[in-house]
Amino acid sequence: MSELNFVGKSFKRKDGPDKVTGRAVYSEDVKLPGTLIGRILRSPHPHARIVGIDTSKARALPGVKGVITVEDTKGVKHGFVETPRYPADQEVLARGKVVHVGEEIAAVAAVDAITAQRALALIEVEYEILPAVFDAERAMDPSAPEIHPSHPKVKEEYANIGGKSEGGWGDVERGFAESHYVREDRFESQVRTHGYLESQVTLAHWEGDKLNVWTSSMGNFVKRAKLAKTLDLPYSAVRIHKTYVGGTFGGKIDLFSHEYCAARLSILTGRPVRIVASREEIFSAFRHAQPLIVEVKTGVKKDGTILAQQMRVINDAGAYRGSGVVVVFLAWGFTMAPYRCPNLKYEGFSVYTNYSVRAPQRGHGCPKVRFAIESQLDMIAEALGIDPIAIRLRNARQPGEELPNGDNVHNGNLPACIRMAAEKSELLKKYGQARKTPQTGHLRRGIGIGISAYFGGSLVYPNSSGVMVKMNDDGSAIVLTGAIDVGQGSETIIAQIVAEELAVGMDDVKLISSDTDATPQDIGAWVSGMTYITGNAARQAAGNAREKLIQVAAEQMKVPVEDLWVENKEVFNRRHPEQRMSYAQVFAASVATRRGDTIVGEGFWRTMRDEPTHPSLATTKGRWTENYAFSAQVAEVEVDIETGEAKLVKAYTVHDCGFPINPALVKGQVDGQVSMALGHAFLEEVLTKNGYTLNPNWLDYRMPTIHNMAASEDADVITEEYRVGQPYRTKEVGEGLVSGILAAMGNAVYDATGVRLYSTPFAPDRILDGLKKLQLKQAAEIRETTTEMQWSQP
Amino acid sequence: MNHLHSQAAEDAAGQAHNGSKRRSRCIALNINGELHEITVQPRKMLIEVIRETVGLTGTKGSCLSGTCGACTVLLSGRPVLSCITLAVECEGKEIRTVEDLAQGGKLNALQEAFLDQGAVQCGFCTPGMLMSATALLERHEKPSLAQIKKGLEGNLCRCTGYNAIVDAVLQVSDQGVLPVMK
Amino acid sequence: MILYDFDYERPGTLQEAMSLLRNSGVDARLLAGGTDLLPNMRVQNLKPALLISLGAIAPMPPQAGEDGSIRIDALSRLADLENSDFIRREIPLLAESAHAVGGNQIRQSATLGGNLCQETRCLHLNQEHDYQFAAPCYKRGGDCCYPYPGNKPGSCWSVYMSDTAPALIALGAEVEILGEEGTRSVPAERLFSGNALTPLLIARSEMIRSLIVPAAPAGFGWGYHKSTLRGGLEFAMANMAVTLRLEDDGETCAAARIVVGAVSEGPLRASSAERKLVGKALTAELLSEAADDASDEINPLPHHGFTRNYLRENIRVYLRRTLTAALERASGGII
Repeated sequence: MSELNFVGKSFKRKDGPDKVTGRAVYSEDVKLPGTLIGRILRSPHPHARIVGIDTSKARALPGVKGVITVEDTKGVKHGFVETPRYPADQEVLARGKVVHVGEEIAAVAAVDAITAQRALALIEVEYEILPAVFDAERAMDPSAPEIHPSHPKVKEEYANIGGKSEGGWGDVERGFAESHYVREDRFESQVRTHGYLESQVTLAHWEGDKLNVWTSSMGNFVKRAKLAKTLDLPYSAVRIHKTYVGGTFGGKIDLFSHEYCAARLSILTGRPVRIVASREEIFSAFRHAQPLIVEVKTGVKKDGTILAQQMRVINDAGAYRGSGVVVVFLAWGFTMAPYRCPNLKYEGFSVYTNYSVRAPQRGHGCPKVRFAIESQLDMIAEALGIDPIAIRLRNARQPGEELPNGDNVHNGNLPACIRMAAEKSELLKKYGQARKTPQTGHLRRGIGIGISAYFGGSLVYPNSSGVMVKMNDDGSAIVLTGAIDVGQGSETIIAQIVAEELAVGMDDVKLISSDTDATPQDIGAWVSGMTYITGNAARQAAGNAREKLIQVAAEQMKVPVEDLWVENKEVFNRRHPEQRMSYAQVFAASVATRRGDTIVGEGFWRTMRDEPTHPSLATTKGRWTENYAFSAQVAEVEVDIETGEAKLVKAYTVHDCGFPINPALVKGQVDGQVSMALGHAFLEEVLTKNGYTLNPNWLDYRMPTIHNMAASEDADVITEEYRVGQPYRTKEVGEGLVSGILAAMGNAVYDATGVRLYSTPFAPDRILDGLKKLQLKQAAEIRETTTEMQWSQP
Repeated sequence: MNHLHSQAAEDAAGQAHNGSKRRSRCIALNINGELHEITVQPRKMLIEVIRETVGLTGTKGSCLSGTCGACTVLLSGRPVLSCITLAVECEGKEIRTVEDLAQGGKLNALQEAFLDQGAVQCGFCTPGMLMSATALLERHEKPSLAQIKKGLEGNLCRCTGYNAIVDAVLQVSDQGVLPVMK
Repeated sequence: MILYDFDYERPGTLQEAMSLLRNSGVDARLLAGGTDLLPNMRVQNLKPALLISLGAIAPMPPQAGEDGSIRIDALSRLADLENSDFIRREIPLLAESAHAVGGNQIRQSATLGGNLCQETRCLHLNQEHDYQFAAPCYKRGGDCCYPYPGNKPGSCWSVYMSDTAPALIALGAEVEILGEEGTRSVPAERLFSGNALTPLLIARSEMIRSLIVPAAPAGFGWGYHKSTLRGGLEFAMANMAVTLRLEDDGETCAAARIVVGAVSEGPLRASSAERKLVGKALTAELLSEAADDASDEINPLPHHGFTRNYLRENIRVYLRRTLTAALERASGGII
C-alpha cells in the first residue's frame, strides 16, 4: 500500500475558522422571525401526586400563545432504553405524579421571556406530597417509598429496582477457597455533571407538514426517532438541522422534555418556539452521571494471579430508568475486559431514587469501576509484596485473547501499554518514595497507575452509519454524512479519510453533515464509535467513488483497471505514469459516456456485521464489540499534608486507540479526559439535600479552571501494527481515558500519604481525616512496641 | 422586525403588570467600530443587545450569571462579562467582539495560534477565551505562565484541559511553542 | 437576563447620585461594577425599582496624604488596583487581595466599594428560585431558613465573602462614607454588623466614598491568603489577612492584626491571638500557637460544602503560613 498522505497527520480542524471567528452557528444562534419563547413549569417537590393543574389564568395572560400539559400530548412514552424487557417508561410531561424536583409539568410559549415567566407563575398545580427516598440502598429496602414498582423479572425482594444485570463464569466460591489472599472493599462515587458550556437549547418550527428542529444534540437521528415517535409523526416529517454543538460529554443524547415541548408548542401555535435551559435548570432538573456503589471481592494466588472476583454494583439511577440499566450492564464489561479472571461473578442493580434522571457521561460507569478494581489491586499488591506493575502485567489480557463472551481483543495490547507507561513515568523508581524516606516540608509527591479497557461502536440505534461522496465536475468532492461534530473533530477526520482515499486535497473536501434530511443515517457521537463506524463508511464511500473514477478512466485510457491508481486529483497509469487524466476530465467523460453518471460514492458500516443484535442487558450474553481499546495511565500528584489539598501534577497516558487518524486531535481527547478526571478526583460534586440541588452554578460546582491544568503526556503503543494494509484500523479514544487516570490518582494519593480513599472526590477534609487516623494508628503502634519492649526487659 | 415586535409586546405586558411603563432609553453603541442606535430597556444586558438586536451571535451566553467567561467582550479594552453588564452602561465605550478579530477575511495571529495548537474543540468557550487572551496580550507582550493563568482564569473550558490554550498564547507571543497542527 | 423592569438613571455627579438615592421614593440602589448586584437581581434576591449608575463618575487616582496615608476612591476598579505600580509598592496587601477576587473579567468591572458592599452568600441563595427554595427565606424577606430550619426570624447564617475586607481591616483602613449629612468616617472593621440580613452598617442613603489606608510604619509586614479548591475564579472557603509591626529591635511584636473572612456574617478579628503576639519576640512556635488560638477563637460557619472542622484546620494552617510570611516581610526577609 502506498504512503499515507492525509490520515495519520495532524491537520487543523475543518470547523476551526468558523469557531474562532464567531461564524459557527449553534442552536441558539439560529434566528427565525416571530419566534416565541418557551418555558417549562417544573416540580418543586421530589415526590408528589398531582391532584390538579389549572392553566386557565396562564392561557388568559396577554402575550401567551400556548400552554401544554400532558393532556395535550399523545401520551407516547419514551426511554433511553426501549427493549421488550425495558420498555419506554417516561412521558414527555408528568402524568399524575412527579418523581423528582424539576420534573416537567407544563410548558408555555409566549411573545417574550418576561411574559413566559409570568405565565409559569399563573399555572396552579395542586400537589399531595409523597414520601421520597434519596439513597439507593435505602430505596432498595422493601419498606422504602415506592417510586416505581420493581422490575417484574427481578427475583430479589428489593423495592425500586429499575433493572438488573448479571454475568460471570467459573465458580467464584471455589476460586476464593483456592486463593492465597482474599479481600473485600467497597467504593463510592459522587454525582457529577457533564459541564457542557452550551446550554440545552431547542428551536422548533412547524411548517404545516414539516417540523424543523435545531437542537443541541449528539445524535440527530436518535433525536429524530424519539421526537417523531412522541409526536406521532412520520420520520420524514421531522428534520433535525445541523448546528454546531457546544460540548455534550454524554449529556445531550436521548430525548429531553423541552425538545418535545418546543416542537409541540410550535405545532399548536404555528410559530417557531425556542426553549433555552438556564444553568440552574440544567443542574437541578436535567441529567447527571450516575454515582455507583461498587463492592468488590478479589482472591489471588501468592504471585498476584487473580483467581476469583465478585462484584456487586448499585447504581443510584434517578427517578426514571434513563441509562441506569445500561450502566449496570456496562459495568460488567468494564470489569471483565482488561484482566483474565477464571472465576467471575457480577451483579448490578439499577435503583430508582427521587433524583433527576441520569444520563451517560464520558466513560459511562467505567471510571467508578476501574477506581474500585485498580485501588484494590494496589492494596493486594502491597499485601503480597508485589509492585503495582508486576501484578498488572501478571493479569493483563494478551493480544489475540478471546473473551468468554466470544469477543476477541485482536491487536489490543494492554501489557505493552502498562510497560510503556511504567517506563515513561519511571513509576517503579518513584513509587513508595514518599512513604519510605524521611520527608521534610508539607508537600508530598506520589505516583500511581490505573488501567482500563473501553469498547467502541457497540450496537445501539441506529446501529450503522452511511456516507455519500459526491464528485464535483472540477474534481473536488462533497461528503454527505450524518456525523455530528460535538468538538471531537469528526468533520476533520472524515475529511482526512476522504482526502486519503480519493487523493484530493483537504480543501477539496467539503462536508454537509448532521442534517437528517440531507445526509444518510448515522449512529451519532456516542458509544465511542464515530471514527470507527462513520470513518469506515466514509472510507468505503470515497473508495467507491474512486473505483468509479478509475473505471471510467480505464475505459477512456483503454488500460486495465488494475494498472490505474490515483494521486493529486488525477487517475494515472502505474506502468506509464505520464499517462493520466484529471478528475475533471474523468467526470466529464463519465457524464458523456455513462448516461450522465455524476459519480456518487456510497459507503456504510456497522460494528459486528454478523451479529443480528446487541448483547442482552440483563444476562450480558452476546457479542459486545470488535473494538477493545486498552490504556494504562500514570498520575503524579502532590498533596499538602497539613491542609489535605491535593492536585494532579502530571498525567502519562499510554493508549491503544488503533491507528490515530489525527494525532493532535487524539491528544486533545487525552488532555480533555485527564482534565475531566482530575475534576472527578479532586473538585466536582453536585451537592443535594432532599432532592434539591444546592450548587447549580459554576461557582459552587467546581469544574477545573486553568489553574488546575496538569501536564499531560500521551503515547500510542502500536500504531505501526494498525497501519499495515487497509483499512487503517481505528478504535476508541474519546471516553476510555477518564478511568485509568482516576484510579491512578487515588493510588498516587495513597503513595504520597499512606491514606487510602474509598470515595471520590478526594476532598481535602477526607485526606486530612485519613492522615489523622494514620497518625493515631502509628502512635498506637509505637505505644504497643514500647510496651512490648518494656515487657521484654528483664 | 422580530426584535421590535417582541419589544413592543414586552412593554405592553410590562405595562399591564406594573401599571406604569418603564422608560426605555435610546442609546448609541459602538460595536466593532460601527455605531448602532438602539432603544433598549435598562434591564437588557449587553449580550442580549449584541446577539439579539445587533445580530452578532459570535459572543456566547452560557451561565448568564457571570461565572464562566463565555460571553467575554472587550469594553474600552477591558475584558468584561457581557451577561452581567447592562447595555445602557456601555454608551460611549468601544465594544469589541470576536467578530472583530479577523480583518479582511484573514484570521489574526491569535486565532491562527488557537487552530495551530488544537485549542479549539467544541468552540463554545472560544470567542470568550479569545477576547480574554486578546486583553492579556495587549497588557503583556510575553505573558508568563502565571500571568496567562490569571488572565484566563475566568474562562471555563470543558474540552481541552487548557493545555492547548496555554500553548496557543505561548505560540502567538513567540515564546518557543511551535504549531502542532498543519 | 433580568426578568423584571426597573428604572435607570445615570447622573453626572456624585451629588446628583446621592440626591437621587435619597429622593427617588422607591427602592433604589447604586450601580458601580454590578458584578454582585446584577447577578443578585437576576435571581431576584434583590429587586430594586431604580438603579443609579455611577458609571459616568470617574474615580480619582490614589492619592498620598501629608501623613503618608493613601486615599483610594471607592469607585476604583479592582483590576486597576492590582495592576497599579503605586498600589503594589505602597499597599501590596491591598493589591494582593484585589488580585484574589473572582476572575479577571470580574476584577475589570468590580469596584473596591462594591466589593465591600457585596451581599452575603449561601448555597440556597446563590440560585434562581423558580422551583427550588421558592418560598423566600429570612434573607429574602420571607420566614424560613433552608440550611438551618431551626433558625429564628432575624437569624441568617449566610457568609460575607469579600476578599478585600480582611485586608483593609488588617491595614487599619478608614472608610469614608458619603451621606445626607456630608461625610463620616469609620474604621473598616466597624463597617460590619455581624448580622447577615444587614451585613453592612451603612444606611441605604449612604455610599462608600473612599478608603484611607494609613502609612505603613517601620517594621511592618503583611500576609494574605485566600483558600479555594481551584486556586481562582470562585469565592473563598476562607480568606485571611495579617499585619505585624516589629519594634526597632526587629524581634518584638509591637502590633498585630489577624483578620479572617468568608467564614462568618462578617470578617472576624482574632483578638486573643493578636494579644498573644504583642510584646513578645516572634518565633515560629509563637506564630504557630497564635494560629492555633485564632483558629479556635474563630468559629467558622460551615458553608458552600465545607465543614466547620475542615475550615478550622484550613484556617489554622494558612494563618500560620500567612503570619510567617508577614514576619519575614517585617524583618526584611521578603518584600
